[in-house]
Amino acid sequence: MPLPTYDYRRTSTTTPDKLTAGIDAFVESIAGRVRRRQSVLTTLVEEAQEIDRMAPDWTHVSDRVLRDRLAEYQRIFRRNRHGWETCRGQAVAAIREAAERQLGLRPYVVQLLGTLVLHKGYLAEMATGEGKTLVAGLAAVLAGWTKRPCHIITVNDYLAQRDAEWLKPLYDFCGVSVGFITGQSKPAERFTAHDQDITYTTSKEIVADFLRDRLHMGTIHDPPRRHIRSLLQGQARNSHGLVMRGLDTAIVDEADSVLIDEAVTPLIISRQQENNDLKDSTTIANRIAEKLKKDRDYKVVLRYKEIEITDSGHAIIDALCEQLPGIWRGPNRREELITQALTAREFFHEGKQYVIQDDHVVIVDESTGRIMPQRTWRQGLHQAIEAKENLEISNPSETLARLSFQRFFRLFRRLSGMTGTAHEAASEFWHIYRLPVIKIPTNRPSQRRQLDNRIFADQDSKRDAIAEEIVKLHNQGLPILVGTRNVTASELLAAKLRERGLEPALLNAVHHQEEAQIIAQAGLKNRITIATNMAGRGTDIKLEKGIAERGGLQVILTERHESYRIDRQFYGRCARQGDPGCVQTFISVDDELINRFIPKVIRENLAVCVTKRYPGYRQEAVVALKLAQRIARRVAYRQRSQVLKMDTWIDEALSFTGSTSV
Amino acid sequence: MAESTAYSESWYRIANQRISLRTQVHAKRQYFRGEKWFVLEDPFNNQYFRLRPEAYDFVARLRSNRTVQEVWDESLERHPDDAPGQEDVIRILAQLYHANLLHFDVAADSAKLFERYKKRKRKELTSKLLGIMFARFPLYDPDDLLKRILPFVKPFLGKIGAVIWILTILAAGKVAIENFDALKIRTDAVLAPGNLFLLYTGLVFIKTIHEIGHALVCRKFGGEVHVMGVMLLVFTPLPYVDATSSWSFRSRWERVYVAAAGMIFEVFVAACATFVWAYTAPGAIHSLAYNMIFIASVSTVLFNLNPLLRFDGYYILSDLLDMPNLHTRSKQQMVHMTEHYAFGCKKSTSPADTPTEATALAFFGVASGIYRIIVFAGIILFVADKFLLAGLIMAAICVFSWVLTPMTRLVRYLAASPKLERTRSRAVAVTVGVVVILILFLNHFPFPSHFRAPGVIEAIEHPFTVAEVSGYLAEITVPADQYVVHGQKLAIVENKELEFNIKNVQAQYREAQLSLSRSLNNNSVDLASTKSRIEAIGKQLHYLLAQKQALTITANQTGVWTAPKLDEYLGMWIPRGTAIGQIINESEFHFSATVSQEEASRLFDSKIQGAEVRLRGQAAHFLPVTAFQIIPAEQDILPSAALGWSGGGEVETDLADPSGLRTASTYFKVKASVLNGEDIAMFHGRSGKIRFDLPTEPLLHQWYRKLRQLLLKRYQI
Repeated sequence: MPLPTYDYRRTSTTTPDKLTAGIDAFVESIAGRVRRRQSVLTTLVEEAQEIDRMAPDWTHVSDRVLRDRLAEYQRIFRRNRHGWETCRGQAVAAIREAAERQLGLRPYVVQLLGTLVLHKGYLAEMATGEGKTLVAGLAAVLAGWTKRPCHIITVNDYLAQRDAEWLKPLYDFCGVSVGFITGQSKPAERFTAHDQDITYTTSKEIVADFLRDRLHMGTIHDPPRRHIRSLLQGQARNSHGLVMRGLDTAIVDEADSVLIDEAVTPLIISRQQENNDLKDSTTIANRIAEKLKKDRDYKVVLRYKEIEITDSGHAIIDALCEQLPGIWRGPNRREELITQALTAREFFHEGKQYVIQDDHVVIVDESTGRIMPQRTWRQGLHQAIEAKENLEISNPSETLARLSFQRFFRLFRRLSGMTGTAHEAASEFWHIYRLPVIKIPTNRPSQRRQLDNRIFADQDSKRDAIAEEIVKLHNQGLPILVGTRNVTASELLAAKLRERGLEPALLNAVHHQEEAQIIAQAGLKNRITIATNMAGRGTDIKLEKGIAERGGLQVILTERHESYRIDRQFYGRCARQGDPGCVQTFISVDDELINRFIPKVIRENLAVCVTKRYPGYRQEAVVALKLAQRIARRVAYRQRSQVLKMDTWIDEALSFTGSTSV
Repeated sequence: MAESTAYSESWYRIANQRISLRTQVHAKRQYFRGEKWFVLEDPFNNQYFRLRPEAYDFVARLRSNRTVQEVWDESLERHPDDAPGQEDVIRILAQLYHANLLHFDVAADSAKLFERYKKRKRKELTSKLLGIMFARFPLYDPDDLLKRILPFVKPFLGKIGAVIWILTILAAGKVAIENFDALKIRTDAVLAPGNLFLLYTGLVFIKTIHEIGHALVCRKFGGEVHVMGVMLLVFTPLPYVDATSSWSFRSRWERVYVAAAGMIFEVFVAACATFVWAYTAPGAIHSLAYNMIFIASVSTVLFNLNPLLRFDGYYILSDLLDMPNLHTRSKQQMVHMTEHYAFGCKKSTSPADTPTEATALAFFGVASGIYRIIVFAGIILFVADKFLLAGLIMAAICVFSWVLTPMTRLVRYLAASPKLERTRSRAVAVTVGVVVILILFLNHFPFPSHFRAPGVIEAIEHPFTVAEVSGYLAEITVPADQYVVHGQKLAIVENKELEFNIKNVQAQYREAQLSLSRSLNNNSVDLASTKSRIEAIGKQLHYLLAQKQALTITANQTGVWTAPKLDEYLGMWIPRGTAIGQIINESEFHFSATVSQEEASRLFDSKIQGAEVRLRGQAAHFLPVTAFQIIPAEQDILPSAALGWSGGGEVETDLADPSGLRTASTYFKVKASVLNGEDIAMFHGRSGKIRFDLPTEPLLHQWYRKLRQLLLKRYQI
């Protein structure tokens, strides 16, 4: 029988703290530094070692006694009884023993440390291959015991299912139930899965479920108001038909990807809507835009991805629109449409931001390199790109509900997460999500060699040098993983290597069917793999026997990303779990990153220095790169916090609509 | 918040809402600078909202039986280009919602409502605290009363009233001009402590009339007046009424009339007071009437009519120029100019529609800013003089609200304003640069430094003409203010007693002479004593005769015979030694200056580069100073009463001293020799100021010293 509070809790969320600004933000950032100070880690390391020392107490205990003891701990955690903190060490030690018996894996001390870090609500930075799945599993047991909803957010459907199934024996043994949700799950399955103590799912699915529930609830989301209304209107169960049972604890895997890179990508529940006006006007706008010349009729602001129409542009538009009807009469609307068409032309390129599959524009996610078939750009832009590519223009979708990951994950009472790369964004994690970042040491010391950046004056010489390097390494029989930024770049490089008689495997948004196979073979001898960021996250490249002794996987990054975190993710593909590995980066002065964020004066100077090989050119280039990434990070952060502020403002301003998306 | 675009990602939030304006909301059309606007008015809570016609066209179509989406589609169809975009619609609806003008079906998010309420309360409190110098306490709803009075006074608010008003003002003006000297003389005493009560009574009376004026005229045009109360203007309780309903009047002349009504009524009352003042004998009524005249003229010009403060004049100007929200928009214009030109923020838009308007706004912004600072500094100094603590508190509030708050706002704006996203570094650089340059300039660039001291012109020779012998002034041979030569007979004093004495002594002398002859004849032994007696009597006689000579007062030098009280003395007994006048030699003058102790140190310390004297009434001309001499001793008697407070001068004098010559604190005297100016009438006792030029010194140092002197002098800090 559901408890009286059951209905209440399944729709209640915490009210996120207001974003601070000015001096408040400064004080808050100091608080954040205090929360993630080094001594926290030291204390936790001691606690983990303490737990490790308890191991002998448990090794000889029988399964039945272990199960009873676990049940006892569960009761303590469930009732939130006084003193549960003191028995946490014991409990973790018991779970560890259970894990060893059920999964055959004995969690290392650093994994215990990770468990504690997650349970305390921190963001754990753990290197790749350190067993994050198990860490999340151990922490989930502690959370699951409380019977409050606990969600583990994985990167994709496959991992959600795999992890849930793999850890099920441990959960069963510890007395917690587990479920998982993938894109294919039916509503009934979703309901059941959310009803379990622990639910594995992806960020997309959980936000979609949340939004659907909100739509289902109608205009009133606030639990007290909903209850008062149901009392007054005599509805027995107002939560009927809802899928979720509330938000409480979340453990987010690859937290930086979900909480930062994807943060402002809103999840939208929408329906297609016939809109012929928009289709026509997009086509016309594209036709007019084709008559405009870059730099004469409009200017391109690279850094902010904006178009500015010049006076001569205005004149041309005025002339062209004279004969057109309706919305083309007045200046505002038509310039908006034309600017959009120009934006589509200047900033969106096939093979970079999107690919065309079956006559449809399909978005390629820039940070993960994967295609996102369901996603569309904001209203009008998607159509403008279709017009540019001469495809059939699709119907714009009408938004029914919309929520960004950023706002969603702020609603959890206890948020924690794991990722390989977090400390670059530590202040943002703290500022937006109140997540202090803690870096967890690796189990075995890393053997990754990082070679100096190689710097070139232009793309051609860079590509040649990359090809030579690949040939050189290939001749040594080592496996090579080459990282490119987009589909086009990966294909260009592959063609270049084929000219030299090599046979590289290509992994990108277009060629992604054989992903698992390509990754499985990437660690083999003599293997060359060219990949976009798709290979950057969650891929586990195992080395063929004997490769480790000869130097391990060789990672070559052909271009730096806007965020150093993504670079590091890619580096993390080699030298896992104490294996050796080598990383080198090739940089050209006309790389997009430098083009976009470094002022022209410095850029030109840098180009001269690099061409002439002046002493210190390398240092200058490295400084420029750091600066560019720094500016890029700031621009991106500003945009994200701007989106959050704007959302908050809209929420407040439109509070009369009742349908606050949160 | 956002760029105005046709589509908004948040549109779905309102697309299916059924929203309308509240039923009680009225819309009125108004023209500002020839442009059409719509003003929405909620009479229940006195909320106003100004909309562009395009926006109004959309808002007016909202009905509770149609969705926002339908209304938007329709308005898009009607005005494909002008119709507000989705972002605009969201913004307009949000603003209307915040102004409580919207009616909607769905119960609002109550948590958010409470949050908003709390925020508003907090804002009200802070604005009350910050505006403590203008705190308002509503007391009474005069609407009913006004409605009842109105029929009786209505005729007088029209043309008949105007005729009566003009005639009265003309008549009063005539009376005032006839008595102008008397009017002018008394102004000095208005702020005297003894008059403050009367002044305040007059102020309350006049201001009550003033406010009633606003209320009546507002009511005449149908505006409702619901609030009347007391405003603490700089801690002085004064009446006020809320006539804001006039803002929605369609005709701007009506709005101007309402705003001007206060002053019209006030001036009328002042005109009546002029008659009362002119035809009554000195007394309480007479003084009160005088005070009322004073208030109606001075306060009207300085405050009410002055558009630079936000009183009546501001609203009148605002309406005459057809530029509503002049104040706010002038601020916006200045922000825009800074952003656009200094910070290179291209997206900043001017609130002005035309270049003329932009200029007007900028000009107004600068002028009102400077004027406010002057007025408030004056008020603070004035209050601080009377009540030190209150003055300090006010100064603290002012520093907080005009220095600290804008500075933190500036820092926050520079650090976090989304408008500066693109040009933040330039904005910060420009601001820091300006501040640094300003500080460097003030701290290093030498400016001429000088200080002034009041003083009077004194003729170098001006011996007093003293009655050497007591007596009645019998005859004036030369009237005063005439040029006389040395030795010229000026006046004759009569002393009968002296005549008698002389006769007596002459008789004695004769007797003694006879006595001597007798003694010679008799070979008497007392010959020697008789001789000495004769000698003594002779001396006495000689003395008396000399005194008799002195009864005729002669000019002791050549010059102008100055004796202001001579006529009064005629026929009166003049004790010996009375100065009945002086003879002034006008060929050479010096300037006798009084330098306060605060400035004296600079007088002694630094090298004075030069000095010049300017005389009152002829400040355009100056007298070069050839040499000066500092008399190194503190003095406390002024060379002329004209320099002291009681004589209208600026040196603080001891109020207990009836002569008005004794200063409250000691000073140093400087005697400066001046050259005769050609255009300047030099005469003895003319007051003026001497300016000492000191070595150049940066302004910041000069200001710092002045502040220190001020504090030291006023508060001994």
